Amino acid sequence: MSIMSYNGGAIMAMRGKDCVAIAADRRFGIQAQTVSMDFDKIFEMGPRLYIGLAGLATDIQTVSERLKFRVNLYELRENRRIKPKTLLSVVSNLLYERRFGPYFIEPVIAGIDPLTLEPYVASCDLIGCPMVAKDFAVSGTCSEQMYGMCESLWVEDMTPDQLFEAISQALMNSVDRDALSGWGAIVHIIERDRVTTKTLKTRMD
Amino acid sequence: MSRRYDSRTTIFSPEGRLYQVEYAMEAIGHAGTCLGILASDGIVLAAEKRNTNKLLDEISFSEKIYKLHDDMACSVAGITSDANVLTNQLRLFAQRHLLQYGEPIPCEQLVATLCDIKQAYTQFGGKRPFGVSILYVGWDKHHGFQLYQSDPSGNYGGWKATCIGNNSSAAVSMLKQEYKEGETNLKQALDLSIKVLSKTLDTNKLTADKVEIATLTRENNVTCIRILPTSEMEALVKKFEEEEAKAEAEKKKDKPSS
Repeated sequence: MSIMSYNGGAIMAMRGKDCVAIAADRRFGIQAQTVSMDFDKIFEMGPRLYIGLAGLATDIQTVSERLKFRVNLYELRENRRIKPKTLLSVVSNLLYERRFGPYFIEPVIAGIDPLTLEPYVASCDLIGCPMVAKDFAVSGTCSEQMYGMCESLWVEDMTPDQLFEAISQALMNSVDRDALSGWGAIVHIIERDRVTTKTLKTRMD
Repeated sequence: MSRRYDSRTTIFSPEGRLYQVEYAMEAIGHAGTCLGILASDGIVLAAEKRNTNKLLDEISFSEKIYKLHDDMACSVAGITSDANVLTNQLRLFAQRHLLQYGEPIPCEQLVATLCDIKQAYTQFGGKRPFGVSILYVGWDKHHGFQLYQSDPSGNYGGWKATCIGNNSSAAVSMLKQEYKEGETNLKQALDLSIKVLSKTLDTNKLTADKVEIATLTRENNVTCIRILPTSEMEALVKKFEEEEAKAEAEKKKDKPSS
């Protein structure tokens, strides 16, 4: 039994042309038993900045709350919105502080820089190693399936609609091959001027 | 004689006074005026800007008004460096409460927590008290819009309208006469704040660049803390001046010329 697969889950983020998308499944389970189908794993850290957390459910909630604490203080002191790459540094620092007793989560960040309007996708491992991606980032119990799907479906410079199709198909087909992920999915498409949120009905098993 | 009792915060004088605390309040009496007015649909916080030196670089958000968390803001009168330390503490308390309880800190609790810290500096440790009085404006789901004032002694009170800083007593007595409880809306509160400030400012004329005004309102279940832009300030000042001119003209008409 691995701690990272105790609750199960999947997060995926993709970069498009002037847009990013982040998607997650909605299952909360305790090993084989599914407990809830509307568990949030993606959290808003700014108007166009989202972070998805995969791994142990209790740590998902704790880390998102502690992260919001740091981001709130940052925005009050600096009097501006936090940039995606700064958020990556904050997350990395938060996780490395627990280097020898870590939070069992692997975060994925997707957002648009508030000033340059560049799309940004990045992820970390559970002890805070930051990895900025130019195409996509995945994390969860079906990460191998997600890597395969993303590698096949991702192309450069997708429009928001194409990006939505690509990320939805990639996530849905990956979680369908994983017993511990699924039971619905939620997708956020983040563009320069708006964020669209869509829920997907997947195989409910 | 009282010289013997004022060098340390931790001793009472024979008359039962804490001189250091009183001296701290003296320091605040010379600082830039701040006033707050509670209205039925929001709160107005107005502050006199003292640093009007042309060489000063532009300030990001505000000189005297600080946002504490999504639902509260404050304005300070006194030693600015002391104020920065306290507002940082207030922001930390508010976030710790949010982390621990999953909901925003109620206004009075935040004020009371900081006041407990301020009180400690008047009783032990041997350090001087903070030379700052703070006006807090906020909204919470328990009591709606609230206005609080705290001073260096660690004492705090909830107010309908109050003022701190230079000429604050004159301002408070003016507010006592003019404030209409239950009948004041945000617009009237804004007009009243301009009127009171114009009487308490050191300089002769009230201009938009000498004053900073912030409003706290609720829109769509979200608290909105807004600093008025210069254009709106100028409009308010102009409106006030027109009304003053009208009132003067009325007075002249009533008085028959000898």
